[in-house]
Amino acid sequence: MANRRLLVKRLKAVRNIRKITRTMELIATSRFKKAMDRAAEAAEYTRKISEIVGDLGRANLKFSHPLLEKRAEEKKSILLVLTSNRGLCGGYNASVLRQTVAHIRGLKEKGIEYSIEVSGKRGTKFMNFQKISFAESYTHFEDQPKFEEVEVLAGRYVQDYIAGRIDRLDVAYTQFVSSSKQFAVVESLLPIASLGGAAGSKNEAEVDYEFLPSAEEILAEIVPAAFRAKLFKCFLDAAVSEQIARMVAMKGATENADEMAGSLKQQYNRARQAGITSELAEIIGGAAALE
Amino acid sequence: MAELSLVLVTPERTLFDKPVASIRVPLFDGSAGFYPGRAPLVGRLGLGELRLTDSSGASESYFIDGGFVQVKGSVVSVLTNGATPVAEISRKAAAAKIEEAKAIRAKSDEEFAVAARRLEKARKMLVLAGKD
Repeated sequence: MANRRLLVKRLKAVRNIRKITRTMELIATSRFKKAMDRAAEAAEYTRKISEIVGDLGRANLKFSHPLLEKRAEEKKSILLVLTSNRGLCGGYNASVLRQTVAHIRGLKEKGIEYSIEVSGKRGTKFMNFQKISFAESYTHFEDQPKFEEVEVLAGRYVQDYIAGRIDRLDVAYTQFVSSSKQFAVVESLLPIASLGGAAGSKNEAEVDYEFLPSAEEILAEIVPAAFRAKLFKCFLDAAVSEQIARMVAMKGATENADEMAGSLKQQYNRARQAGITSELAEIIGGAAALE
Repeated sequence: MAELSLVLVTPERTLFDKPVASIRVPLFDGSAGFYPGRAPLVGRLGLGELRLTDSSGASESYFIDGGFVQVKGSVVSVLTNGATPVAEISRKAAAAKIEEAKAIRAKSDEEFAVAARRLEKARKMLVLAGKD
């Protein structure tokens, strides 16, 4: 008897958990759609920037900008780690942090000084646990990072790089390739490797632009803008990937809960049937004894 | 008749993508206007008001925060860090922003530059807000 009551209790608990995971899955789905739309809208800006860069390229201009120059000797670097504020998203944070730790080891071997900046509570918890010290932590980047907020960071990195306080900037985040493919990477954002201009410009008629004030000045302004857009894209990618990871994790959890509820129900039914059978046997046995 | 259309994009989203009759943008050193048939141009933007007029003569204004403008064929693309419809700017909020910017105590040249920029932005916003 006691066994049966226990089974009922467990069944209830499993069903409750299933309800929660199912809701979380639905929330993650709707957030994912929103984040995805934002990322798509942001892509337009990046596309336009590279278009202008391409135009500049045709203006016989030598690309030179402090942010494009690779330092001969890399001494100091900043590593920005993008994790989520909330858990229950499968291996999302773990894979970013695994990449981070591997990268830190690499930096140590090369003797490059590093300072770590972490975004997301999960990341800060991990760093505290591993006793890895970090310079800054941010928790205000939720699932919809704002450009204004990212711009503050970007501005600081640009100044640090130009002033020579850092020689490189790496970002560890989850890159979004498609809705079924995301992976954690450590990407080097500064110095800027390529501006991604001049793509698909072959078949277009050449346009002779007038540059105001001059092509050089436009370049001086557009390089940081391209960097800001790139950094913003990292944040957006991370946000989209987080929602996908949560969606998948919660879908799995819901399915497992379903399976568990099924098997518990079966066990309960068997126990109930066994109880009835034994009661019947007792009654029949009792009646036979009275005769 | 030549056509003109404006695409206004910020890093977060595309705010405007429609045909217009004329556009006025704040360049870094003053404002510039575009009519259909403008020769190709790439320019640096400053802070200020972007004003567009559609074919019926109705106009719309946005406050834009730096960036670039590209004129290519009949398309004018404005890339900016942030754009706010002027109708949404209130005098009070702009005045509050000025106070906020003034309250910043800059300790280094960089911080000073940031604070000065914020102050300038808030002042320009207030000027625009005053019109309505």
